[in-house]
Amino acid sequence: MKKKPYRRKCGDFEIRVLADGRLVMLAPDDELLAMGRELEPDSSLLPPAREDKRNGRT
Amino acid sequence: MDAAAHEQAARRAGIAREALRDCLLCPRNCRVDRTAGEKGYCQLDDKVRCFREVLRYDEEKGLNPSHQIYFAGCNLKCEFCTVSEWNERPDAADELDVEKLAATIARRKKEGARTLNLLGGEPAVNVHGILELLARVDSEAVVVWNTNMYYNDIVDELVTGLVDIYLADLKCGNSDCAQRLLGAGDYVEVAKANILRAAGHSDVILRYLVLPGHLRCCLEPIVKWVAAELPDVKLSLRDYYVPPAQVKEAPAEYLGRDEYRQAVELAASKGLTLIE
Repeated sequence: MKKKPYRRKCGDFEIRVLADGRLVMLAPDDELLAMGRELEPDSSLLPPAREDKRNGRT
Repeated sequence: MDAAAHEQAARRAGIAREALRDCLLCPRNCRVDRTAGEKGYCQLDDKVRCFREVLRYDEEKGLNPSHQIYFAGCNLKCEFCTVSEWNERPDAADELDVEKLAATIARRKKEGARTLNLLGGEPAVNVHGILELLARVDSEAVVVWNTNMYYNDIVDELVTGLVDIYLADLKCGNSDCAQRLLGAGDYVEVAKANILRAAGHSDVILRYLVLPGHLRCCLEPIVKWVAAELPDVKLSLRDYYVPPAQVKEAPAEYLGRDEYRQAVELAASKGLTLIE
């Protein structure tokens, strides 16, 4: 494991897990926001869950 | 935006492109010929590049869902920028395809987007491409100019009447912090003048990302100024500061709940209207 903090490159996304358990997503895209929705289904700050037509879930 | 606004946007896009020949769009006053491929402080020639578009639900109340479009390249070097990689290397982003992006905007509108949120980087240094885009977007779009407010008068003249809301993201409250954290000692003075000007003709939301340890040096002078000059402006205090991976001058810690509460109390003590 490198000792120096990772320096983001164009196209990278960054997620940090803080000591108190919070998850921080930096400038997220749709995919990361959808991931956030899975983790926090009730948050009003995240996009509504999309209907998944493949398995009938929403 | 009606047909006349579309026409005006197209005409102003031409004016903006001409201005790139001797670029004075922002106070860096680089005077480079961006149309000849020269690049100034923002590292941009005349090509406009976008690196992300996304529908967000966590912007200020009333703006959500907000279709954010990120333009690469900036005239500040905020140490705590969360998309700094795209400002250091804007040419790594895809070149703007106006027709394609206009179609994406229409799709996002159908998905529920209430506002079209133009940000970066900094939209001011990409104003020519943004005007070309506005000349083609849906006439009902509510356009948010999400900016650091660090630009010269010409930018305001180009966008006035074509954007609906100035989301003025004021980064610092004093010159010393502005020099150390953003690399622009004249930032506060310029941004304040532009905010006053914008408030004279448009709806303004004044946003401040609360920086840990900067309540006295930055937030306090900001709230005093707002209380004196723009007491009715909507003030938004954001709590999502993320320290950079390698800290030089910026705060190294995340914002604590107590400090955010103090920030809110400070603003409320001046009778300012806070929005979520």
